[in-house]
Amino acid sequence: MTAPPDFTTFMRNYQDMVYSTAVRLIGNETQAEDIAQEVFIKAYERFDNLRTSDTAGGWLKTVATNLSINHIQRYKKRWRFFSDIVHHDDEGAEKEVEFAAPDTFFAGVDSAERREWIEKALEKLPEHQRVPLVLYHFEDLPYEEIAKKTKVSLSKVKTDILRGREALAKILVRSGSPHEQFET
Amino acid sequence: MKKMTPEELEKFIHQNLRSLPPRRAPRSLELRVLAAIERQATIPWYHKSWSYWPSAVRMAFLAGATGVTGALVTAFYLMCNGANASAVAVQAGERLSLFTKIYHLALWTADFAVQVFGRIPSLWLYGGLALVAALYATFFGLGAFAYRTLYRNNN
Repeated sequence: MTAPPDFTTFMRNYQDMVYSTAVRLIGNETQAEDIAQEVFIKAYERFDNLRTSDTAGGWLKTVATNLSINHIQRYKKRWRFFSDIVHHDDEGAEKEVEFAAPDTFFAGVDSAERREWIEKALEKLPEHQRVPLVLYHFEDLPYEEIAKKTKVSLSKVKTDILRGREALAKILVRSGSPHEQFET
Repeated sequence: MKKMTPEELEKFIHQNLRSLPPRRAPRSLELRVLAAIERQATIPWYHKSWSYWPSAVRMAFLAGATGVTGALVTAFYLMCNGANASAVAVQAGERLSLFTKIYHLALWTADFAVQVFGRIPSLWLYGGLALVAALYATFFGLGAFAYRTLYRNNN
C-alpha cells in the first residue's frame, strides 16, 4: 500500500511549516525531522478528514508543537541524571545589556545573512528560554498557555521569555558586525 | 549604544523573529514519511493498537470480554449467596478444562523453579545478584561518563 498522490501534495504544502515549528522548539535538526515524520504519520491516519479541512494547517501546527514539547520533556527526564540541569548563565540578578539601536542593528548585513544569524542565535539559546520564547513569538500563545504546556510556573515563563529575549539580543550583538562570522 | 526598555526589546525581537521565513524541510523527510507509511501498512492488525483492529474482531473481542466478565460476576454472586464453592469450581473446571490444564502447568513450573533454586547454595545466588548489580552500576557509570565526555562536548 502506498500513500495517495494527494497526500504527497498535502505533505509538500505543509512540510516546511511543520519542520520549522519542530526545529525552532527543539533546536536540533535531526530530532525535528523525526518529529515532523511523526506528525505526518498522524496526519495520514486522519487524512480523510484533513484533506478537506480548512484547519489542517492549524491541526498540524498544534500536533507539531505538542509532540515537540513532549519530546523535550521526555528527553529532559531521561538525561537528567547525565546532565547538569543548572544553567549557570541564568543565575543571579539581571544584568543590564547595552544593545545597538534597532535601526542600526543589522546595518550593512543582507537579509539572508541576517535571517541565518537569527536562526542560529535562536538555536544557541538554552532550552528553557528558547521553548517559551518560540511559543510566545511564533505561535502567539499567551503566557498562561505556555506555562500550562511547559508545566512551569507563570512567573518563570515570564522571566524565561524576558531573559531569552535579552540573551538573543546579546548573541545578535556579539555577531552583529558584518565582518564577523557567526560562530557555529 | 542605547539601552532598550523591555517593551522595545519585545517589539524588536518579535519583529525579527516574525520576519523569518519557514525553515526548509530536508528532502529526506518526504521519503521517510512515505517509507514509514508503507512499513506500517505491512504490520498485521494484531500487532497494532485497538483502533486498527478490523470491526469484526473488535466485536468478537467485546463479546468475549463481556462473557468472561459476566461469568466472573455470576461466580462471585453465587459464592456470596452460599453456593458450594468446590461444586462451582468443579463445574467450572469441567467446562473450562483447558484453563485448568494451564493452571496445573503453571503450578508445576513454579514448583520446579522453587526446587531448582532451593538446590543452589545461597552464597552462589547472592554472588550472582551482586555480580549483576555491579555490572549494571559499571555500565550505567560508563554510559554517564561517555555521555558527559563525548555527547555533551560535541553540542
